[in-house]
Parts: sequence; C-alpha cells; structure tokens
Amino acid sequence: MRKLPLGARWEGATIAERHGVEVVSRIADFETEYRLVRDSVALTDFSFLRRYRFPTDQGIDLLDALLPGNVARIRYGRVMQTFMADNDGRLLADCYVANNDEELILLCEAAAPDDLVARIIREADKEGIGQDLTDSHVLLSIDGFNAWAVVRDLFGADVLGLPYLSVELYPFGEEQVYLFRAGKTSEFGYLLMAPRSVGERLLDAVRDAVARQGGGACGVEAHDALRLEGRFFNIHAEGVRVGDPLVLGLQWMIDLEKSDYRGAAAILRQRAAGLSRKVIGVLATPGEDRLRIGAHLFHGADDVAEVVADAWSPGLGRWVALAVFRIDMAYAGLAFSLGSPEGPEVRTISMPPIMAKSLSVKLDEM
Amino acid sequence: MATADFQTLIDRRAGIIGTLKEELIRRFNLPYTPEDLHEDVSLLGSGLGLDSLDALEIVLCVESCFKVKVPDNSMSILRSINTLVDFVIAEQDALVAPR
Repeated sequence: MRKLPLGARWEGATIAERHGVEVVSRIADFETEYRLVRDSVALTDFSFLRRYRFPTDQGIDLLDALLPGNVARIRYGRVMQTFMADNDGRLLADCYVANNDEELILLCEAAAPDDLVARIIREADKEGIGQDLTDSHVLLSIDGFNAWAVVRDLFGADVLGLPYLSVELYPFGEEQVYLFRAGKTSEFGYLLMAPRSVGERLLDAVRDAVARQGGGACGVEAHDALRLEGRFFNIHAEGVRVGDPLVLGLQWMIDLEKSDYRGAAAILRQRAAGLSRKVIGVLATPGEDRLRIGAHLFHGADDVAEVVADAWSPGLGRWVALAVFRIDMAYAGLAFSLGSPEGPEVRTISMPPIMAKSLSVKLDEM
Repeated sequence: MATADFQTLIDRRAGIIGTLKEELIRRFNLPYTPEDLHEDVSLLGSGLGLDSLDALEIVLCVESCFKVKVPDNSMSILRSINTLVDFVIAEQDALVAPR
C-alpha cells in the first residue's frame, strides 16, 4: 500500500485503503466534518492522488493520446477535468490537467490499483519526459465556505481573483506551491501541491490558518457525501460501480471530435449505439430507510433501477443517492418503490439538491 | 410498463428537456448532441463551463422558449438543465393553478 507522505501527522484519524493507497477516512465524526465544509473550512490530505509534471510542448501530445479531454485547448493558467479509461472505455481515474505555461500538471484520482495507473502513465511516456511527483510532493485540499480566507491568509489577496478551475504558483519558504482552485464540495475549494521538503511546514501553516477561521480537519468520507450532494463525479462511488463514462453523464469531460485516446473506440461505439441506462439522483422520504448501494427501485412490479452511490445528507436530513435507471424512466420528478414493489416511496430529483452558500458569494468583488 | 399519469409526467419533462437542450446547443454552439448532455450536468463552472455572461443568455433562452420570467437572483435555477426544467414546470403550473 502506498503511504501518505504526511501520514504520521494524522495521529488518531481513521486510516483506510482505497485501491492500494492510504487515505485519511475520518478524523472526528462524519457530521462535524461535513458541517466544517458547509459552514466553515476543512483541511483534507489529498496526497492519495497521483501527480505528474510534463513539459508542455511534449506533454500535450502525450496526454492527448491518453485522455479523452482536449489537452491542447487548456488555456494558460486553467485546469481541465477529464478522466482516464482502459482500452474497453471503462473508467480508471478521474483527472485534472493544469496548464501552467511551460508545464502541464496531471492529478489522478484512481479507481484502479495505484500501481496500474502508474504503469499506464509510465508506458504512455515512452520518451521519459514526465516527472512523477507522487512521492516527492504533498497535496492538501482546503474546502469550505471560508476556504478563500485561508488561502488569502497564506498567499495574499490576489488569490481571490482566481477563477474556478485555475492554477497559480505562490512562494512558500524557499519553495513554490501550486495552488489549484478546484474542489468538488460545492463550496470554495483549493488544492495545494508542494515539495515534500516543505510539506510538514505547509501542513502546519494551513492547519493554523484553518483554525483561525474556526475550521478543522476532515476525512474523505465527508467529501464523498459532499460530492454526491453537489453531483460532482466521484470515481470512488458511482465511478467504480458503473464504470461507463457515458452512463454516468461524463460526456462533458470528452472531446467528442477526438478518436485517438485510450479507450476511444469503445466509448465512441457506445455513443453511436445510444444509451440504455442513465444515472439519476434519488431522494428518500424523511425517516425512511437508507438508500443502500445495491438496492433496487421498482415502478409497479418492474425493477427499473439500482442504487450505485449513497450518502446521508445532514443538509437535507435524509438519504440521497444516485441510481442507474432504465433509460425510459431516467427522469427527475418521479416516484418509485425502494427494495420491492411494496417498498417505501423514493423520488428521483434534479441534482444538485442543495444550494451551496459559496454560490452566493463573488470572491472577485470582495 | 409505465402507467398513464407516470408517462404523462415523463412526456412533459422530456419535451421541456428536448427544447432546452436544442436551444442551449444552438445558442452556445456546444459540440454535443442533445443525447450527450446529461440533465444534471453543471451549466456554470465545471461541466459545460459557461460563465456569468452566458448565464444571462441562459435566462433569455428560458424566457423566450417557455414564456416565463426568470427572477433576478436566479443562481439556484441555473445550476443544471434539470433545475431549469423544474423552474419551467413550476412556473407553468402556477399559471394554470386556480387563484
């Protein structure tokens, strides 16, 4: 199992394994961590993502041949979301690609064995132009309604002008820190990537700044729920259980004019054939049973859907889920029975079902 | 097999979704077919990546296609195609509801 570079600093936390990588699963209790993000700010160790640096001039072709997104079209200073698939078009990793002028930064959150993703990237990089930063750098995530105040305290007020999905370098001690404005919680989110040599100092500085805003640390379990509430794609939940990017609605991560990336033939074949299933949000009736992964939903006697991601939503006070529906019933606003034709009612919903507080704030006007 | 009321709900929603997707693709020159656009895809930021100026165009699109008035503070409506459809359905229902 690949260890987190700062793993020793999470004493007392619940540590789990995801696809051969250590993750900080939970630090306090789930609801406390959830509330930190929604109402304040939370720090999470995201070093479980693999991370790479490529020179832009050669890296564009390399990454364009690997990923379905159009890497050549990422503007300077911006970040693109895409994914990595296997040769059958099945999801392997959720990816950010950042264009930082002379270099491209690739961040991979894998739902495949960590060493498999590493090997695929190594094999794609025949010329050896890339640099694997997975062991040499740390990655910290700062998320929450007050996350902007934390990065402002660390790097100055100009961070407030960074648009969503952008990247910038800031000095930290004798090193440079990559600041990605990203995040998948619906609240403000930032990823900090720094050399391991300053990793512990950066962690301490972030912890102090987070504490000044009334925040604290958070594990990935809370992030899973926040992603589901915000309908951000979660490779570890619906991603790993469905595998098909088109059924999951990830067409927006694909340049549909490209045909030469890993898994392209299968993905384009599937697109031409049309979808027979689609993922839709589902909400339980308050007080009713958990919408468990694997549960089936019925319309009359017909079994029409299966739950593929679930979470308790403290914000909604009930279970929320994603389910793969038969395409003719894959619409929001419908009632189904959970577990059996006589089961409790659940309803399909428009996602996201919550309105994050951060959406009401314009940082560039502060 | 879908029951009549159930199918009516589906048909109504599918009709609004179809109109909205066609119009968004046309107005923003999106490189997708309607089938490529999941109804929950985020319109602004990630997802379709539209910006705050585009948000105004989305409002105009909804108002002209469905003859409804989108309120000024409409961020919650503009999150996804599905949230736009919910708004249109609610407005249409409000117009025909007895006062």
